[in-house]
Amino acid sequence: MAFFARTLPYAADQGTKGWRDLGPCRLFRLGVFGLFLALWSEPAQLQELIVHRDIPQPRLTQNEARLYFTLRLQNWPTGQRVKVFVLADDHELHRAFAKQVLGLFPYQLRSIWDRQVFSGTGQAPITVADEAEMLRVVATTPGAIGYLRSPPADPRVRSLEVQ
Amino acid sequence: MSRLTHGLAWALLAFVPSLGVTFSSTTAADDSPFWEKLQEKGFQIHGFASLTGVKTSANRFYGNSPDGSWDDIEVGLNVSYRFNPRVFVAGQVISRQAGDMYDGTPSLDYGLIDLSLVKTADQDLGVRLGRLKNPLGLYNETRDVPFTRPSIFLPQVVYFDKARNLLLSTDGLMLHGEQATAHGTYALVLGGGQAVTDENLEWVFLGGDGPGKLGPHGLSLIGSLWYATPDERLRLGLSGVDSTFSYEAGGPEDSYTSGQTHTTYLILSAQYNTELWTFSSEYARLPMQYRDYGPYLPYSDLDGEGYYFQAAYRFRPDLEGLLRYEEGFTDRGGRDGQALSDQTGGYVPPFDFYAHAWTAGLTWTPNAHVMLRAQYSRTNGTYTLSVRENDPADLIKDWDLFALQIAVRF
Repeated sequence: MAFFARTLPYAADQGTKGWRDLGPCRLFRLGVFGLFLALWSEPAQLQELIVHRDIPQPRLTQNEARLYFTLRLQNWPTGQRVKVFVLADDHELHRAFAKQVLGLFPYQLRSIWDRQVFSGTGQAPITVADEAEMLRVVATTPGAIGYLRSPPADPRVRSLEVQ
Repeated sequence: MSRLTHGLAWALLAFVPSLGVTFSSTTAADDSPFWEKLQEKGFQIHGFASLTGVKTSANRFYGNSPDGSWDDIEVGLNVSYRFNPRVFVAGQVISRQAGDMYDGTPSLDYGLIDLSLVKTADQDLGVRLGRLKNPLGLYNETRDVPFTRPSIFLPQVVYFDKARNLLLSTDGLMLHGEQATAHGTYALVLGGGQAVTDENLEWVFLGGDGPGKLGPHGLSLIGSLWYATPDERLRLGLSGVDSTFSYEAGGPEDSYTSGQTHTTYLILSAQYNTELWTFSSEYARLPMQYRDYGPYLPYSDLDGEGYYFQAAYRFRPDLEGLLRYEEGFTDRGGRDGQALSDQTGGYVPPFDFYAHAWTAGLTWTPNAHVMLRAQYSRTNGTYTLSVRENDPADLIKDWDLFALQIAVRF
C-alpha cells in the first residue's frame, strides 16, 4: 500500500501535464494504470491532525496522538484541557485517520472508549456530523484536537505533524 | 420492578434508533449550546438497553427458555464528570431482569472518585475509591454492556452469569498505574475492599436459598497486570480476586451451620487483533474451600477450571461472525463429575459438574447506536446453568440454545 501511496502524486502529475505528447496506446496504458490507482487509492488519502490555534507545540509522537484520541491523556503540556472530536466510526476519513495516523483499527478505538465509558475509568470523544462541523468546532473550542482530509486554510486551526 | 425495567427498556429501544439519525449532528451543533457546553466542561452521559430472547431445547437459562422467553432485559445509565486534571467522578446504575436470577431492581453498578497522582505521556498513577468494577479478564468490567461483549452471552465457564458476584465488583479502593515503553504498555491495578454479593451466590454455593444469609467476610483482594503492544494488537493479562464469604445459619430449621467459603479466582487472558480477525482466549482457575457448614454440605475443597478459545471475523465493519469453544469443570480433579455426583448420593447428576460448549454468533451494527445479534450454542453438561432456575432432577445433559438480541446505546 505504501508503495502506491507514494507513487500516486507522481503518476497523477504525469497524467495531466504530458498527455498531449503521448500516443493513444500509451494513453490507454496510462488510463488503465490510473484506473488501477483509483481502485487502490483509498489508503493514499491525506489526513491532517488539527488543533485549535492556541496549542503551541509543533508536533506529536504517534504515542501522544493515541493517548489524546483514546482520552487517556486529558491535558496538553501547558495544562490546558484536551477536547477530542471525531467523526462517526464508519466515516471513511475516521477509518483512514485511525489506521494511518494512530496505527489503530477503528474497532479498537471504539472498544477502548467503551471500556472506559462503561466501567467508570474514563470517557469517550465527542462525535461530530461531518468535516465542516469538525473544522468549526476545532476552530472555536480552545484545547480542541481533531482531523481533516487536508491542511485547513482557516487561521483559527493549525496542523500538527505526527511522527 | 420488572414492569419498570420493561418500560424503560422499551422506551430506549424505541427512542434511541431514531436518535441515532440525529444524535451525532446535534451533539456539537449550534442549536444545542447547553449540551455542547456540558460536554466541553467534561460532563458525559451514556446509556444502553437490551432485550434478549432465549430458546433452549431443554433446561432453563434466563427464564422459561424451553418455551422461548424474553425474560432478559438490561438498562443502564451512567454519568461522568472531570472536575480538573486530578479529579474524575463516575457512576452507573443498572437494572437487570434475568429469568429467576434478577427481577429488575435497579442497583449501583459502580460509583467512584478517581484521584490522579501522576499523569504524563509515559506514566499514569492514581487511586479510585467507591464501588469499583473488578478489572478481571477481558470482559468483567463491562460485562453487562452488550456492545462490549463478543456474543450475546459471555463464555459462561469463565464469566458465570449464575454467580456474577464472584467477580463483579468491590466496595473499596484500587491503585492503578500505567507505564508506557517503546515496546508496549504495562498496566497494574491493586486493590482491596468488601466484595459486593447477592442471593445468587448463596444459591450457587449452597444449592438453595436457605433460611440463613450469605455475605462478604473480611477483605477481598484484587489485582491485575496487563501488557499491550503499542498498537494494542496483542494484549496479555493476569488478573485475580481473593474473597471469603460467610454464611450465617438461620436457626434450628437450617440444615447448614454457620460456615465460610474461601475463593481465589485467577484468569490468564490473551487477545490478538488484526484488521479482520480478533482471537481471544482465557484460562481461569477457581479453587474453593468450604468450611464449617456441617454434615449436610457434601463438598469441602473444589478446584474449578474453565477456558475458551474464540475467533471473531469482521466480514464488513458492521458485520461480525464468531466461533467459540469452551470447557469448564467444578473440580479439575474429577472432570467427569462422577465423584461429586456420588457425594450428593446421586441427587445431582455427574454432567452438572462440567460443560463443553460450541458457540456460533453473528453481530450486525447498522449504526453506532443499534446492534442486532444472534447466537447458537450446543452444550454438553449443565455446569453453567443456575440451580436457582433448574431442579437438578430435571436437567438434560445435551442441550441447544438459540438467542436473539437487540441493543441500543447513546
